[in-house]
Amino acid sequence: MILAEKDRKSEEDALEKMAKMRHAIETIDLNIYYGDHHVIKGVNLAIPEKVVFAIMGPSGCGKSTMLRAFNRLLELNESTRVEGDVKVFGKSIFKMNPIEVRRTVGMVFQHPNPFPHMSIYDNVALGLKLNKLVKDRKELDRIVEWALRKAALWEEVENKLHKPASALSGGQQQRLCIARVVAMKPKVILMDEPTSNLDPISTKKIEELIYELKKELTVVIVTHSPAQAARVSDYVAFLYLGKLVEVGSTVDMFENPKEKLTEEYLTGRMG
Amino acid sequence: MGKDGYIDTFKYFLLPFCLFVFGLFALMLAVYFSASIPIFKHEGLKIYTTNAWIASENPNKEFYGVLAAIYGSVYTSVLAVLIALPLSISFAVFVIDYAPRRLKEPLIVATDVMAGLPTIIYGIWGAFVLVPLLKKCVMDPLYAHFSFIPLFSFKPVTGYSYLSAGVLLGIMVTPFASAIIREAYRSLPFMYREAIYSLGATRYEATKILIKQIKPAIVAGLLLAFGRAIGETVAVSLVIGNTFNISPSLFAPGYTISSLIANQFGNAFIYKYMVSALFAAGLSLFFIGLAVNILGILILRRYGHGR
Repeated sequence: MILAEKDRKSEEDALEKMAKMRHAIETIDLNIYYGDHHVIKGVNLAIPEKVVFAIMGPSGCGKSTMLRAFNRLLELNESTRVEGDVKVFGKSIFKMNPIEVRRTVGMVFQHPNPFPHMSIYDNVALGLKLNKLVKDRKELDRIVEWALRKAALWEEVENKLHKPASALSGGQQQRLCIARVVAMKPKVILMDEPTSNLDPISTKKIEELIYELKKELTVVIVTHSPAQAARVSDYVAFLYLGKLVEVGSTVDMFENPKEKLTEEYLTGRMG
Repeated sequence: MGKDGYIDTFKYFLLPFCLFVFGLFALMLAVYFSASIPIFKHEGLKIYTTNAWIASENPNKEFYGVLAAIYGSVYTSVLAVLIALPLSISFAVFVIDYAPRRLKEPLIVATDVMAGLPTIIYGIWGAFVLVPLLKKCVMDPLYAHFSFIPLFSFKPVTGYSYLSAGVLLGIMVTPFASAIIREAYRSLPFMYREAIYSLGATRYEATKILIKQIKPAIVAGLLLAFGRAIGETVAVSLVIGNTFNISPSLFAPGYTISSLIANQFGNAFIYKYMVSALFAAGLSLFFIGLAVNILGILILRRYGHGR
């Protein structure tokens, strides 16, 4: 009984702390429709700065769709409709140029997708060149190396920078994608199940990277694996059938889920 | 024999069909070879290296050289590919990336209809509309001001020329090249589209990078276009002028192998060697086709997509 009191207290503290932090991303009554299909149903979410925030839920709950609303990538699909608002550092993304949004909010995808016809170097340099973020070749060289080091890939590719990206292994390709995003120095990186196609060792490397990245930026990671959410995240949101069921600090939610649905999901009885 | 056995034996069922198709091709090649032998005996390889067409009642005076037609075939087909390249890529990109959704299907159907039209339809349109138009709007002004450039050095009298044939062929082969490029562009995995946009690319920048990814399909589309162009007969006959002529000028009339065969075929039986000369001319198309395909494979291999 006393223990439960204490738990609730720490939980409230955590939520309070979350509310006070500067928000990297905030959604206000977010609804997403895919044709006639109502995918995301009135989600209000605030993601603090410089943390790893996991969005977990079973397949088909709308996690990836919601993630794509954060950098306006959903707009590539003509049949989607977004209602409500998404704010990045307090600014509505719908009042910003989508290119600016995507430069601030980078993304890593489920399938490693470096451009296979381009060299490793060109893949990392791509975002920098597109957004004209560098002045000269020297600066470009420097940032490419810096980004590859950040993605813990430099030692492995140092001698084959101008080989095609398709020559790398799946795990290396995914780290290349992280380097490609990091090079643009975004403030937020969205990761859509970044390890679901990788072997355990590559997964571990990526998870270590995520831990390093949060020192400088905010990582929002979508995962269907509660275990991964527990390993990498500081905060976690549980999404089920398009609705936000529960959100809170990872430790609290895993030790003491408030909702029955969450508990069932975490204990593997559902999902 | 387990279940897999049935799958394995299926190949014996397919084999005769495969042999039939390949056999037909081999047989046709053999016929062309054997029918060409008389002219090779008569004048050797001069049939391919000279430009002459001397039909005579006296077989000893007969002499044929189809160099002008080979030159014309290659010249007009290269022109066609050069014209089809920007047209088909732009069209494919427009249909997939830019066209409003309701316009997409109609546009695709329209190009499919274009591809299926009998070529005489293009020929008539070419002869009565395209040729006068090109003469008035392109050839005459270019000749008037730039005739010192060899490409424009021939005075356009009738308008029937390599240029007319090349433009007409370019229009005719665009639907084929465009269909291949369009399908390849459409089937690029969506994740690459997402990747390029997520890096802050504009629509134009995204297109530029994505189109580079389908280079092999573009090469394949252009090879097909070249093949169609070099084999086209009726439409070309109507606009090229059918003249034994080798000229660098776009505005000069010429001949192509297929238009030569079509035009001379009717009276070829009167002469001893002419039929054989026409077969030899046809044989050269086999070799041009082979050369172009080998070139294509080499290009594809350079991109690392070779078989």
